[in-house]
Amino acid sequence: MRNPDQFSSLVWLWVGIAIACSSLKYGFGSFHEPGIGFITFFAGAFLAFLALLLLVTSRREQKMPGRFWNLWTGLDVKKVIYVLVLLALYTFLLRPAGFLVSTFILLSLLFRVKGAHNLATAALLSILVTGVSYFVFEVWLQVQLPKGIVG
Amino acid sequence: MIEISQQILFGLGVAIQPVNLLFCFIGVLIGTLVGVLPGLGPVAAISLLLPATFHAPPVASIIMLSGIYYGAMYGGSTTSVLVNIPGEAASVVTTLDGYQMARKGRAGAALGICAFGSFIAGTLGVVGLAFLAPPMASMALRFGPPEYFSLMILGLTVLTFLAGGSMLKSLMMACLGVFVGNIGFDLVSAQPRFTFGLDILLDGVGLVPVVMGLFGISEVLLNVEESLSRQEVFDTKFERLLPTLQDWRDSIWPMLRGSVLGFFLGILPGGGAIIASFVSYGVEKKISRHPEEFGKGAIAGVAGPESANNAATAGAFIPLFTLGIPSNAVMAILLGALMIYGMPPGPRLITAHPQLFWGTIASMYIGNIMLLVLNLPLIGLWVKMLKIPYPILFPLIILFCLIGAYSLNTNTGEIGLMISFGILGYLMKKFKYDGAPFVLAMVLGPLLDNSLRQSLLMSAGSGMILFTRPICLSIFVFVAAILLIPIFKRQFSAKDPRGSK
Repeated sequence: MRNPDQFSSLVWLWVGIAIACSSLKYGFGSFHEPGIGFITFFAGAFLAFLALLLLVTSRREQKMPGRFWNLWTGLDVKKVIYVLVLLALYTFLLRPAGFLVSTFILLSLLFRVKGAHNLATAALLSILVTGVSYFVFEVWLQVQLPKGIVG
Repeated sequence: MIEISQQILFGLGVAIQPVNLLFCFIGVLIGTLVGVLPGLGPVAAISLLLPATFHAPPVASIIMLSGIYYGAMYGGSTTSVLVNIPGEAASVVTTLDGYQMARKGRAGAALGICAFGSFIAGTLGVVGLAFLAPPMASMALRFGPPEYFSLMILGLTVLTFLAGGSMLKSLMMACLGVFVGNIGFDLVSAQPRFTFGLDILLDGVGLVPVVMGLFGISEVLLNVEESLSRQEVFDTKFERLLPTLQDWRDSIWPMLRGSVLGFFLGILPGGGAIIASFVSYGVEKKISRHPEEFGKGAIAGVAGPESANNAATAGAFIPLFTLGIPSNAVMAILLGALMIYGMPPGPRLITAHPQLFWGTIASMYIGNIMLLVLNLPLIGLWVKMLKIPYPILFPLIILFCLIGAYSLNTNTGEIGLMISFGILGYLMKKFKYDGAPFVLAMVLGPLLDNSLRQSLLMSAGSGMILFTRPICLSIFVFVAAILLIPIFKRQFSAKDPRGSK
């Protein structure tokens, strides 16, 4: 696809059609007795219609940036993926490893993402922040944080 | 009038209870801090703190969450003036002239006028709220499902019209939000809808992980991919904080105009502080005797918008409390909070929970005084907070989001939801889609579904009920006008041989 709007409008067109079709499976009902798919059908259909309008208008737009991947030109998208992977791993490890261990590891790695700190400084900061947040949320606010291997 | 005065005194009695005073102070302090720190707006802050309020009394919780909202308006102006970085979206306009004043060595006057303007506007807004809300609540009793449906459509349309960027894209996000809002159990048939077999979605998509992801996580991801850190801090020296007499002469009418404009724009579903500040700037520039000074340090360009955004925060509470319809994303979260506390907003809120309604109004007045006292002496401290390097700040933001999401139901599925919406929010920002219409539509989605179904049941399936009732018809005519304005404007500028300006 050419410019970002063309790409995104095609994605939303597909999403809108999928929502509308799935809503029919749930049951559109009738105007006398609307089914559970009634309003989501219209939401999906309208989304698809607007996406189509955007696709048409974006094709006529002359002053768009080249390809949609130009949106990431000059940016370090690897760091974004790295942070997302860390967050996903944290989600899976939080219960088995516990809040203290998983948060310490996560913060140690996040503090080094922008390369501003060495490992020792990052580890120290992580211990401090993990400890303070444990005290604030678990002890003071009584949030039931997972104990994991420590508890 | 006498009855309202008595209710205000009752509200003051609620607001000055020690626990409510404490929560008000915490709210405005956090709000100011959130406003000062770029990247973390009141939406994200309220979302982060919402789970913590489940352990607190509901009235105190709403007082605190409200304090965060209007406190952020105060704080946002500090960084706008000092370092040309709007701490809050509604303070974007303040950078145009506020920062220029700072470069001329007049940061103190700019900050002082921001603080006093915000105080005056906030006070006038609270007075407006106290006197307008009860009659509006009485009028709201005449609203049936068709009127509610049309009003919610109006709110979504106005927000998409006034949102920055493409109206087409904002409407698309509103449609997506309606869909996401209707995921979960259908209340009428008790059947799951679009849950994809996931237990986490049976109760619907939670508002808190969505907003934390869309606004908090996505902002972090956008900043992480920047190769240069935001380390620049312009070390502004400022001599005096109090404006001169001439500054007051130049600012007082913009403040008053901004207050009135902001208040009524805040009431409008879909309106809000951001719109109010932009409109106020436009008005002041238009009526000024020296419009050429705007953008170069005109104090009216600071006084008007800062007053407008604070007055709008008070006005925004009116549709929430009286109709149960949020006018912006922050109000949508407060609506969610009130539902969780078992105090559904609407025409009966004032009579069913007077301590909540009048207590919140009175606390807003007290909160405005606290903010004036806080903001003037603590400006130096807020400036130091800006020096926290972003490589340290963003892991803290992520941690707050993670704990906040997990604490909702002690379920890691909420974290997964938040991360998913974080990715969506990141892509939305890259492709220039606005998140506010999505959030508003997501909150309104189930309400839209119910009101539409009830309307069709009332009319035995005839959709004409939406166009034959006078209030509905008026609202839909207004909606049509809003949708058609951009088309007409384009047609007229295409036909005008002189071109549009």
